[in-house]
Amino acid sequence: MIIMKSKYYFLYIILGLCFANISCKKYLDVPPVNIVNEGDLFSNSKGMQLYLSRMYSQMPFEDFKYSPARQFFDDWLVTPGTNEGSSLGRDAGEAMTSEGWARNGAYWVRAFNLLRDANNLLEKLPSYKANFSDEEYNHYIGEAYFTRAMVFYALAKRYGGIPLVTSLLQYPEKDAAQLEVPRATEEETWDQVLADYDMAIANLNEASPVKGYANKYVALGFKSEAMLFAGSVAKYNRITGFGQKTGVRVIGFDPATATAASKKYFSEAYKAANTIIKSGKYSLYKKKWSAGDKEAQYQNMVDMFFDASSPENIYTKDYKWPDLAHGYDSYNIPRQLMGGNGYSAGNCPTLDFVELFDGIAKNPDGTIKVLDNNGKYLLFDKPTDIFADAEPRLRANVIFAGDVFKGAVMDVRRGIYTGSVAGGIAPLRVVNGATNYTIGGPQTYNQTDAYTATGAFAGHKSLFLSQNGTTHEVVTLPDGTKMNGGGLNGPFGTSDLTAAFTGFMVRKWLDPNLPQELVLEGRSEQSFILMRYAEILLNAAEAASELALAGAASPDGDDLQQVMYDAITNIRERAGADPLTGMSELAGEQGLQVIRRERRKELGFENKILWDIRRWRTQHSDMLNGFTQSDGAYYRGLYPFYSSVADKWFFDAGFEEARKRFRITEQEYYFMIPGDEVTKSPVIDQQPGR
Amino acid sequence: MKTILYNIISLIILSGCAKIDNYAEPGETLKGTVVDAATGDPVLTDQGSEGTRIRMRELSWTASAPENLDFFCMKEGIFQNTKVFKGHYNVRVDGAFIPIVRVDTNGDTLVDESKTLDISGVTELEFKVQPFLKLEWQGTPTVENGKVTATVVVTRGVSPEDFKTKIEPMGNYSDDFLNVTDVRLFVSQVPYVGYREWDNRYTTIIEYPGDSFEAHLGEPITITTQGTIPSGRTVFIRAAARINYATENIKRHNYNEALRVDIP
Repeated sequence: MIIMKSKYYFLYIILGLCFANISCKKYLDVPPVNIVNEGDLFSNSKGMQLYLSRMYSQMPFEDFKYSPARQFFDDWLVTPGTNEGSSLGRDAGEAMTSEGWARNGAYWVRAFNLLRDANNLLEKLPSYKANFSDEEYNHYIGEAYFTRAMVFYALAKRYGGIPLVTSLLQYPEKDAAQLEVPRATEEETWDQVLADYDMAIANLNEASPVKGYANKYVALGFKSEAMLFAGSVAKYNRITGFGQKTGVRVIGFDPATATAASKKYFSEAYKAANTIIKSGKYSLYKKKWSAGDKEAQYQNMVDMFFDASSPENIYTKDYKWPDLAHGYDSYNIPRQLMGGNGYSAGNCPTLDFVELFDGIAKNPDGTIKVLDNNGKYLLFDKPTDIFADAEPRLRANVIFAGDVFKGAVMDVRRGIYTGSVAGGIAPLRVVNGATNYTIGGPQTYNQTDAYTATGAFAGHKSLFLSQNGTTHEVVTLPDGTKMNGGGLNGPFGTSDLTAAFTGFMVRKWLDPNLPQELVLEGRSEQSFILMRYAEILLNAAEAASELALAGAASPDGDDLQQVMYDAITNIRERAGADPLTGMSELAGEQGLQVIRRERRKELGFENKILWDIRRWRTQHSDMLNGFTQSDGAYYRGLYPFYSSVADKWFFDAGFEEARKRFRITEQEYYFMIPGDEVTKSPVIDQQPGR
Repeated sequence: MKTILYNIISLIILSGCAKIDNYAEPGETLKGTVVDAATGDPVLTDQGSEGTRIRMRELSWTASAPENLDFFCMKEGIFQNTKVFKGHYNVRVDGAFIPIVRVDTNGDTLVDESKTLDISGVTELEFKVQPFLKLEWQGTPTVENGKVTATVVVTRGVSPEDFKTKIEPMGNYSDDFLNVTDVRLFVSQVPYVGYREWDNRYTTIIEYPGDSFEAHLGEPITITTQGTIPSGRTVFIRAAARINYATENIKRHNYNEALRVDIP
């Protein structure tokens, strides 16, 4: 026994010696021969491609791997549009008030990795200048500035003032405590964004040397977008304050400088956009477009998202299965065409979005006309009739009931009404005889008198619904055929939201040629257009309008009114929308609203509009169906019903059944800084007041 | 052999965690009230981030920059935190009243009426503040057809001159700050009714553009709830109003006390 024990002690001593010895000798301290080092990377364009690939893989692009709920680098449940008011989804659809449940962590933390790569390139590449031609060298320097601008821009629009790390922090050579960089003011931050974009524009090539790289016009495009953001914040932001640790104004602008800053940024946004316009290098996509032909105009706007040779594309994020693919089709496909993963209809456009467009019969208050002058439903022969004259651009965005997608007629039907149609059908949202279309009214049609056979319907149930995709109430039609209450795409009320629960489905970005068996997560490979010419026109128009409102002179001598007019006219013509009545329509504050509305119609589902309503600071305050988002607001849906007696269709408009509640308070325009980053640093400030 | 393996494993594991968290658990209590400096009445509030916030910072903790320890006032204007570490603290309150810590546009402190104190045992505090508005019920609410009608009188808790004297040095002053923007009759099925707890089917919000409320100051305002509250329900109602001025970046409401109303 004793011998055994001493054997153990011997073992422990050996073990202890092993641990003790590891760190003493330096014989492992040699440059690794099997690892590519900077000298290799910066030796030729092939090496640089590796370096840039690593940078681009971390770039904060809001593409098919971005959602407001989970932020960057996460392609699960990507349903662009669901936080900006354009659409709602089962798993999405609320105001973006934080970085949600970002599995990859807050961008605050992630950003600094890429920032270091950019600063490293800026500091080290000059020593290797001899390895490159001047053109190559300048382009790589431009890439570094472009990257830094993108990082600072992505941070600034989320957090306001940020630590402006513009040189390579010497870590681990220096102690981490010496390398702490406090947050700058928001104004200094936007000035840095501007300076970095300008350096990128000055250095980048006219054309991307490799597809996917930036170029001068890409940088100009993002500059115009970023400066529009900065100018809007300087003008419309109302919350500001000082950091607790540093006393620096980390969010908002100093009232003394805000007006001048706003003019400067709008002017920069305008100049950048107008430079692209005047270059003549890009144009609106009109390959299939034909004047007066709505069908051609519609098809043109569908095709433009899939044509790699589109002259409208300034910058795209490209995907290729199996190396880099996404799941847009899987999450957003109409339920009727659901793929193998079981996701569908994650992106249901709201009626509020649809009502922005032209070619729809509307009431004086701008809402869609579904009732006749006696307050009874308008009856249609086919469900598509209500949108027969709709603006082609709307059809390219939204799939309606009865529309054709991938060769199939989209079956969208909330229910079948079997009651009498003599004297017309009265609005359905009635409980115990009281018609109620307010928020206090019935949430779903399952609660209405026609369904529960109460009130005027006592003894004769007149509404038949489906509770989900498999549980149906079946109606025998007058001709003897049987029909399910709900359509193949629903809607099914609140019990199953993997359906068209607002009555609409998204069409934008959905690949019309992807076979159903490939509608899978991580299988789609269409490109995401990060920057297109239409946005440049809208940026130019908005910046011009803001400059005119501020009484500023045109920064480049062009007539601001003419720039606005041309931009909106061209976009509307391509979209098949009603033309402007004249230049006066774009004048003043009212004109600015016309331009903003055009933006919401053109750029929906492209991860742009949510940032727009945030920079306009209207997200919390715009009146939306009787409420503001600061009090909690709801969107509306349009529900198709079939009248079996009349063999006609009618539509009920009102709050959508899921009652997705959007709520944001003003201070949430700035995301919180991650708490542990604030705690562990002596200089990083939390947002003032939070 | 197994024992050796376990011994080696435990040796490796234990070598990493020599420090045990033996810090005494927090047991001190901070409690108090936020009262109207003029009348001594508690300043009623919402229970949540749009209500009165108590912010403690432990100054005796020097290992890192003091963190903000926030909690919120109860609706009666009283606060209590029974899990406080013994130590030296700075305590401030922010709500729908003149900020007790005021800074100018350069971030320099103009006035600091926050309290710095040792917290040990049960420490009581009273903050005397100047609420922007005061709301009082007039008469008792009546119920008809599932709708509650109540009358409320809104007056200023701080005079416009006093407000201007204190707020203007903070910079970017506008006379619009004093405008009453909205009066609400909040309805909820729980007594904690307020901005974070209201039933939007019944609650009434009246917005007042510009300075249009000026004429209603001190005058009875009669508000009726929306929709129809089903018979047999018990609801709690509360009136709230706010001015066009944000403290700590939030425009907060002043309140009157919650009333229970039984719908016959």
